[in-house]
Amino acid sequence: MTPTAWLKAQTPLAGRALPAAIVLQGLNGALLIAQAWLLALILNAVTFAHAGLAEVRPWLWQLLALFAARALTAWGAERFAIRGSARIKVALRDRVYHRLQARGPAYLAGERSGALVETLTKGVDDLDAYYARFLPARALAMTLPFAILLLVWPLDWVSGLVLLVTAPLIPLFMILIGRNAERLNQRQWKELARMGARFLDSIQGLTTLKLFGASRRQGTELAAVSEAYRVGTMRVLRVAFLSSAVLEFFATISIAVVAVLIGFRLYGFEIPLPAWISLPRIDFQTGFFVLLLAPEFFLPLRSLGTHYHGRMEATAAAERLIEVLGPESETAPTSATAAPAGPRTAPGPVTLSFTDVHFSYSEGREALCGLSLEIQPGERLALVGTSGAGKTTLVQLLLGFLTSTAGTLTVNGRDLRTLNLDDWHRHLAWVPQQPRLFQGTIGANIRLGIPPEDPRAHPDAVRTAALLARAAGFIETLPAGYETPVGERGAGLSGGQIQRIALARAFLRNAPLVILDEATANLDPESERLVQEGIDELARGRTLIAIAHRLDTVRKADRILVLDQGRVVESGDHTTLLAQDGAYRRLLHAYAGQGRLGGAA
Amino acid sequence: MKDVIRLLRLFKPYRHWMLLGALAALVTLIANVVLLAVSGWFITAMAVAGSAGVAMNYFTPAALIRGGSILRTVGRYAERLITHEATLRLLAQLRVWFYSHLEPLAPAVLQRYHSGDLQSRIRADVDALDTLYVRVLVPVLVATLGACLLLGFLLLYDWRIAVVSLGFLLLAGVAVPLWSRALGQAPGERIARTEAELRTACVDGLQGLAELQVYGAAAAQARHIDALSRTLATEQVRLAGYSGINQGAVGLCANLSLWTLLWLAIPLVADGRLAPPQLAMLALFTLASFEAVAPLPLAFQQLGRTLAAARRLFAIVDARPAVEEPAGPSPRPDRFDLHIADLGFSYPGVATPALDGLSLDVPQGGRVAIVGASGSGKTTLFNLLLRFWTPDRGTIRLGGHDLAQYRGDDLRRYVTLVSQHTHLFDLSIRDNLLIAAPDASPARLEQACRVAQIHDFIAGLPEGYDTWAGETGVRLSGGQARRIAIARALLRDAPVLLLDEPTEGLDGETEQALMESLGRLMAGRTVILITHRPVGLDWADQVLVMDQGRVLARGDASVIAGATGAELLGGTG
Repeated sequence: MTPTAWLKAQTPLAGRALPAAIVLQGLNGALLIAQAWLLALILNAVTFAHAGLAEVRPWLWQLLALFAARALTAWGAERFAIRGSARIKVALRDRVYHRLQARGPAYLAGERSGALVETLTKGVDDLDAYYARFLPARALAMTLPFAILLLVWPLDWVSGLVLLVTAPLIPLFMILIGRNAERLNQRQWKELARMGARFLDSIQGLTTLKLFGASRRQGTELAAVSEAYRVGTMRVLRVAFLSSAVLEFFATISIAVVAVLIGFRLYGFEIPLPAWISLPRIDFQTGFFVLLLAPEFFLPLRSLGTHYHGRMEATAAAERLIEVLGPESETAPTSATAAPAGPRTAPGPVTLSFTDVHFSYSEGREALCGLSLEIQPGERLALVGTSGAGKTTLVQLLLGFLTSTAGTLTVNGRDLRTLNLDDWHRHLAWVPQQPRLFQGTIGANIRLGIPPEDPRAHPDAVRTAALLARAAGFIETLPAGYETPVGERGAGLSGGQIQRIALARAFLRNAPLVILDEATANLDPESERLVQEGIDELARGRTLIAIAHRLDTVRKADRILVLDQGRVVESGDHTTLLAQDGAYRRLLHAYAGQGRLGGAA
Repeated sequence: MKDVIRLLRLFKPYRHWMLLGALAALVTLIANVVLLAVSGWFITAMAVAGSAGVAMNYFTPAALIRGGSILRTVGRYAERLITHEATLRLLAQLRVWFYSHLEPLAPAVLQRYHSGDLQSRIRADVDALDTLYVRVLVPVLVATLGACLLLGFLLLYDWRIAVVSLGFLLLAGVAVPLWSRALGQAPGERIARTEAELRTACVDGLQGLAELQVYGAAAAQARHIDALSRTLATEQVRLAGYSGINQGAVGLCANLSLWTLLWLAIPLVADGRLAPPQLAMLALFTLASFEAVAPLPLAFQQLGRTLAAARRLFAIVDARPAVEEPAGPSPRPDRFDLHIADLGFSYPGVATPALDGLSLDVPQGGRVAIVGASGSGKTTLFNLLLRFWTPDRGTIRLGGHDLAQYRGDDLRRYVTLVSQHTHLFDLSIRDNLLIAAPDASPARLEQACRVAQIHDFIAGLPEGYDTWAGETGVRLSGGQARRIAIARALLRDAPVLLLDEPTEGLDGETEQALMESLGRLMAGRTVILITHRPVGLDWADQVLVMDQGRVLARGDASVIAGATGAELLGGTG
């Protein structure tokens, strides 16, 4: 679907507001014609009938009423147009965001989040140019000039002919110039998005830039990027402005021709013409009326030209939106969200079973090759292995963010792909390696996803969870305690503190399955010990799957799975594996030797 | 008003462009008024002359009509080009101006802001400032000059007509804009604020989607975004509603001005004091002259929004950097002994000090390990050593000179950091490395990568060093990202090296391999390492155990071979 067709297809979202705007605009145009007629009538009476104020006074009062009606209809049209556009924008923003959510974290990981945020915010707002400006302008451009022409033709076909001949030139030039400009403009939009991503990246990495004395240099680079953007934008604008200049030129010239032709006929000047053409005579009142209407004939066409430039901005934005929305039929990796849930299952014990599971990120790059595994309720399972062994992929599959390329993964005997993903997520708590804190308070971050009416949302429950995660100590020394606002990456909090808030989240969740991605990283030995205690407590009666990079945290696991290049190479508890003298023992050896600085020791 | 003056001062380098743009706009306005007024006069005069059968000179008005048409078209084209050129130049300068003010604030002051919010400020707010020139300054200038010229012309005919026109022009150009500005101020500020909130919520929602989904909060985040989107739309509709009233008001004023003119001038025609063609001319003249003030209501409405954006930009720009740069040139020490005496520091708004009386001497080439729990003040010490913050009391001397005597950038030539968080920019791996040393030759880059043991990996990628890294690029594992950080530090070649838990979160095998690279990096440098795991520190000459900003114990590696360490190590090896 082309961006334009897509934009058009969304208009019903506006409800009746856009048609109302168009009707009011049309009414305004009709009133304008009446106003011109009345004005010509008054001037004619004063000039040729030598009428005084007393004679024309009734007409003046009518004129005043027309002025008031025109102001009202213009205001109403504007209001309805914006309201209609606002409805579309709200609906689309919601739809696009939901679509991004449905596409899931695996899709987002491959996209520039700066550009996506730009699309969701400014990109959607840019649609105003189409719905609130271009569409009403186009409707007016297609009606008012015709109405005027129909009116002028019987009165004076000469003027009508001038208008008729020049009018089609305007859309013609608009199309000729516009097509080229549209292409340029779309490139410009991409440029803008890239610039946005660049700024965010520079700001996020400002500390790193400063560390290497590169922050000033980056300023110069940003200047160069902005300058390149200016040059590119001016190239687009020169074309866009040229098209409106051409339109304006035609409009102005034909008004001048109409005025001159009317003037000469009124004067009685014989224009030398072949005998078979005879120009109709014209009176002053008609002539003046036509002269007043001539600019109004071109005005809608000209304003269409102006908004055409804005429409291109909207088209470029629409292209990004279509790209994000993707083909409707496309199944996202998280298609499970769409699957009918059947009866919603209350979180209870879960048995997980992997049967010959394969996964590859791209052709030929297998991250998991034929993994088979049973996890019983209440089991404590540790995943170890070097980075790239497939630990994270396994967890992503379990979370439903990735779907296995072959093999099945079942939960209590049901294929994970047939489960409702939200429902499945209710069964688990997850602490990623680098947890994210969301805009809001610390308390709100611990309560993440828990509805306010839930007993777990009670401050006491939040405190208990924070205590278990050993986060209560530092939170309560903060002046605002749980109400302390935090932002992205928990500005102002240390890595260990963020980790403990995320852990408190998991405690509060109280789910039968807990997935920890190196949950005790970034903790000092004392809090690590305490958190480990808390985890032991949390593990009671629950299934616990922990990715461990550091082996001193896995000894309590019922089963340790050693992964290497997408395969399970060893499995068993600490004592058994240690006795085997295999991969686990080698990893352990490497770990015990860590910290001895090869070159420097 | 203060904000407006401050903005104007920023615009100063482009005043020639700006004046030229306004001039082109004025020419366009006058050409248009002349065109319409002369057309009206011409038709009426021709009709009068025709019906009376008298001759008249029609060449002059015909030439005026032609000239007016051309001048108007050319003038408008020039005006648009020049004003946009000026605006874009301005915007480029404003972005850089903003960034250069942001830069000294990192990282200390910027911690308070969310980077989604910052992006919104630097982009949307800076973009919003363009309205001040194109939609405010140019229209105001043109309206003032244009109105004076037009009124002067009307005075030639009748002073009452001139006064009435002036009244309606002032109403449309001043009273209505002021009213609309008052109306637009609140929604304008709310729009700017809501836009920033929406942006932040989108950044959170997209970058944190995995966690939101697992915790069942994704729907709530979508509702939050939808609610913000609705608030934004409501405010936009409200602002547009005001603008509708105002635009309507200008048209109405023009019409009323015309109406009053007819009321006043018709008796003059009847008396013979005004010729009929002059009535037609004045009628069209009046209507056309309102084009001068038509953009003003919108201009003043935009002003509310622009000033809100400007105020938020100024708020960041005016934040005091946590570090003041010295006036003179930085010292150039020939030795890099570190001497820290009685160092104390508290973060703003936090009651307990982050560092409380730390003293430490590290001779050049010395090796120090600092062990402590998170929040014990280790990272604060590094922030002070890198001059990201200024100590509240005590001194740090490098090579005999107080740290305050060094300019931040110069100091960081001597002191560099490898931490667990490595920001990889949205650039190629090569450009990411070049950040540390822009002039490094490809051979030197490779050498550094070999030492950091990442060269083989990079060379194995299909595009080698030109492989895209960062958010959209190839995904590097934690160990690989840290090797890049080590390579950067090697390229930097600073005599003092700070290591902030460089192996945190890595598995044992990766960690051991990384330690080997780190060992090579440390060779011949002064090293301070901070860690919360007191293991394998026998390479250090000094070990400090810290808690809550204070030193609990110091000595050689045996200091921490006490209970905690032994307990931790027990059984793993």
